[in-house]
Amino acid sequence: MDSFIKISNFPIVFKYMSLFGQGIVVTVLLSLFTVLIGFVLALILALMRLSDIRPFAFLEKDENGYVRDSGFLYLISRFNPFAFLATAYVEIFRSTPVLVQVFIIYYGVFGVIKLPTFTVFGFIQFARFFPGVVALGLNSGAYLCEIIRSGIQSVDGGQTEAARSLGMSQAMNLRYIILPQALKNILPAIANEFVVIIKESSITYTIGVQDIMSAVNAVKGATFIIVEPLLVATAIYFCLCFPTSKLIAYVERRMSRGDKR
Amino acid sequence: METRDDVLIRVRNLKKYYNRGTIKALDDVNIDIRKGDVMVVIGPSGSGKSTFLRSLNLLELPTAGSIEFDGEDITQKKVLNKDGKMVKMDLDAHRQKMGMVFQHFNLFPHLTILNNMTLAPIKVKHMDQKLAEEKALKLLDRVGLKDRANAYPIQLSGGQKQRVAIVRALAMEPEVMLFDEPTSALDPEMVGEVLEVMKELAREGMTMVCVTHEMGFAREVGNRLVFMAEGKILEQGEPKEMFANPQTERLKEFFSQVL
Repeated sequence: MDSFIKISNFPIVFKYMSLFGQGIVVTVLLSLFTVLIGFVLALILALMRLSDIRPFAFLEKDENGYVRDSGFLYLISRFNPFAFLATAYVEIFRSTPVLVQVFIIYYGVFGVIKLPTFTVFGFIQFARFFPGVVALGLNSGAYLCEIIRSGIQSVDGGQTEAARSLGMSQAMNLRYIILPQALKNILPAIANEFVVIIKESSITYTIGVQDIMSAVNAVKGATFIIVEPLLVATAIYFCLCFPTSKLIAYVERRMSRGDKR
Repeated sequence: METRDDVLIRVRNLKKYYNRGTIKALDDVNIDIRKGDVMVVIGPSGSGKSTFLRSLNLLELPTAGSIEFDGEDITQKKVLNKDGKMVKMDLDAHRQKMGMVFQHFNLFPHLTILNNMTLAPIKVKHMDQKLAEEKALKLLDRVGLKDRANAYPIQLSGGQKQRVAIVRALAMEPEVMLFDEPTSALDPEMVGEVLEVMKELAREGMTMVCVTHEMGFAREVGNRLVFMAEGKILEQGEPKEMFANPQTERLKEFFSQVL
């Protein structure tokens, strides 16, 4: 019986190694920019969700001056438009396929907004790369938002009380006390999200971003060999993701050295 | 309104209600805290003494009533300033002058002891870093922890943590120190070292409000004793006198349980 892998095909695939090399650069850059955009977006979204901006807060007390705990007016007094928007964003992006999001961003949004057509390093087409980064960034922002929010909420409330009692403002408390502890707590989850993005970025080959998967397609088109280039891609993805998660686990151990002695 | 210069915190009709007034954590509390007072607040658990203390720097928002600190009602969003203009009440500025020590220390675990102490002076008061560190080391020296300046909170014992928490608050040079059951989370053998620091503070004339279960401290160190139950101040006065002659049945009962 023939094996579905033919060793003799590999030398043919290896001729296209430079394509894979370019694919690796694209995938890595794509993931880095995605995490960057996603993280900034997620931080803003998380702070929106945790904010206490209630335009109808004046309704929270009833005619006797007691704080309401139920009823229609109670719900209105609790309404926070920023938290509502952020929650809606997160739920919509988490409940729809990333492929659909990529298509809508590429054909929809950037069908209207024309991007300049230039290439970076001679093989990264900006007009395809940029929409890919935006779409993936918007998507991972929704997931990272929930991670960051849980991280902030995991910090003991006494920390905020101590900071505020020392006269620190809410912003200082967030910056110097809460976020450093929260980020440390959620580092494994962020690392996991980064690895997910490396893998998920493969979806952008559908809009012509020349990442690792697009190299597979190119080899397939030129040689009609399918399985072997896929195996090469598999190996490359593994070599990207596995060390990344190991590296971050190492950093995490180093960072927690301070509180475990 | 009469103004007595030595009143630092004037609490009037302070109320804290939950569940539409069915639970009254604070029920019309009135008290003046004067400069140099060492006020000890005692009472059974659930009597509202912690809520009272935490209301003083608005960690707990009262339902009604006023808290005047340095002549400003800090429960208001806007206050009249000295020029007679309505300005935004700067709660953070007031909190700088009210040091607080918590039952569970609440040291910042990601910062060294020294950085725990210098963060607020540097960021809030814009103190020069060198100066802040010098001051912090001096304070640490006073409580015998100078050699632990570069340690992290996790490396300290409970008593050491609480001593650091006290000097961290002192580094802001507050006008009053609020202690919220500072020894309740400590192993018994560590209670003494923390009380010793508090005693010394009292001797130096620091204005202090302490919620505590340490009756010895209440009797020996405090110059005012306040007994709270069910959200009310039931009795207050000179500590030794109150220990000798409790007036209310409730206080007699409380003493019989704790002494």
